[in-house]
Amino acid sequence: MSLPPPALVAAALVLFCASAPSRGETAGLAITEIATGVFVHIGVHEEASPANADGIANIGFIVGNEAVAVIDPGGSAKEGRELRAAIRSRTDRPIRYVILTHVHPDHIFGAAAFRDDHPDFIGHAKLPGALAQRGSYYVERLRDSLGETAQGSEIVALTLLVSTRLDLELGGRRLVVRAHGPAHTDNDLTILDEETRTLWLADLLFVDRIPVIDGSLVGWLKELDELIAIPADRAVPGHGPAAVAWPAAAEPERRYLEAVARDTRAAIKAEIGIANAYRQVANSERGHWLLFDEYHPRNVTASYKELEWE
Amino acid sequence: MGVTPVMLSRAALCVLLLGFALPGPARAGQSEAQRAERWSDLRHAIFGDRVVEDAGDRVAIDAPARAEDAAIVPVAIRVTDTLAPDIRGIYLVIDDNPSPLAAHFLFGPLADTREIATRVRIDDYTYLHAIAETVDGRLYATARFIKASGGCSAPASKDQALALQRLGKMKITFRERPEPDLPIDAKLLISHPNNSGLQRDQLTQYFIPADFMQTLEVTYNGQSIFRLESDIAISEDPSFDFRFRPPRSASLGEIKVEILDSSQRHFSQSWPIPAATQM
Repeated sequence: MSLPPPALVAAALVLFCASAPSRGETAGLAITEIATGVFVHIGVHEEASPANADGIANIGFIVGNEAVAVIDPGGSAKEGRELRAAIRSRTDRPIRYVILTHVHPDHIFGAAAFRDDHPDFIGHAKLPGALAQRGSYYVERLRDSLGETAQGSEIVALTLLVSTRLDLELGGRRLVVRAHGPAHTDNDLTILDEETRTLWLADLLFVDRIPVIDGSLVGWLKELDELIAIPADRAVPGHGPAAVAWPAAAEPERRYLEAVARDTRAAIKAEIGIANAYRQVANSERGHWLLFDEYHPRNVTASYKELEWE
Repeated sequence: MGVTPVMLSRAALCVLLLGFALPGPARAGQSEAQRAERWSDLRHAIFGDRVVEDAGDRVAIDAPARAEDAAIVPVAIRVTDTLAPDIRGIYLVIDDNPSPLAAHFLFGPLADTREIATRVRIDDYTYLHAIAETVDGRLYATARFIKASGGCSAPASKDQALALQRLGKMKITFRERPEPDLPIDAKLLISHPNNSGLQRDQLTQYFIPADFMQTLEVTYNGQSIFRLESDIAISEDPSFDFRFRPPRSASLGEIKVEILDSSQRHFSQSWPIPAATQM
């Protein structure tokens, strides 16, 4: 793609700064262009805090000849504004779509920053239900973690729901948005940019940071099989580097999920209680993942609850 | 006393729901004196002026000191062999929950009361109290402190379609029993959201309606093993581990579970008891 001339960028910046005075925010959100027109901001491997403004997930945008699609607007309104500024420093094309890949706070709370662009807010057909169930809890938790920095971070109403597949035309490039069965959550979307063969997996792919199981362990392994069959040159994980080789990068995640499934089934069979099971599930994975102790026990509890019905 | 245990627990529950929600967010930072006062209030609300004795080591609560997931905290209540034959009921109180009286188990003639276990939601750092009631009306209490928070309003249902499709379904497993004279250990799972009613839809500002299991009755050939009066504190997809002794003379019969929830739905399921040698 061709970038707009510098004068336009400057004009856009001036406009942005004039219309959205912000506290010390710059257009300086670090952004990597991983393929032509595909931009990723890498989240930090931390828990949400005022210092990181819940900027812990990989977020970004794809620019076509006519329009821009945001893929995950960020973990807070603050991060959303910074992402918007980063977009406006590169293009003045309209932001027509804001895709929320799933219900988790680190991916969605930046949406409010894009309201004035009047985009379609796109989510999985099951996302509204999940937002209804969890939204208030997530808002409270974000306020607890971020304090004042959480200000303006709100749930936005979705305008376009995806139950199987949705094609988005950005001008000269088409994005294929797919809705998946229960896996990381019960409302996961992935996006394939056909132009650059980039598969944006969001939290269906964790690299380095431990996967979080909040949908279905068995379902996730099943979805992985199908995702691996999608021809793509690179994938964008929800947590990890900006881009990884596909499908090779799926292996550590699959290994972890399979270990959890195998060992949790064994723990249930051995009548080890739900609270203690994690101590002997997938211990071989410790050391392979960041934040292992913070998330692994809950993953095992969730998996235990799922697998004890088998 | 003038009221039945069931009436008492219902009445107490209402009092607790209306009158005892403590203000202020930082309950994790309560002093021991505040916690003692809280328990004293709760004890009077539930048991009136009845004497509540310290159970010593006769009643024990087994639960993790720090819960990894506050929405699913396993709790087992154990009674010594000596006391067990005299026990007719157990109350489980989670002092700092929005609705503290989490469960009241009423044992029938077939129950082996030495152990019963379930999973609960815990909203804040709190004491749990288990109070065992004997057939002659004595009350023995024991306490355990648990570090957990956010369990009552925590996100429910990881897979909402599955939850809906499986609503009311049950699964029971019996532990192997080498001899017919030994009690039978059973593990019961019930698919039910047991929704707390504490989650608010951010867009509509409506609360997701509470929808929880109110009573559970477990019988063997029509005779009671236990009845449970419960509440929003029981975790999503309620789980119960219990123990019972089928009458010796009877040929192996059927175990039946009946549930009534707050939406007035009734669920029921039965299973034959496998013979001891075949288990």
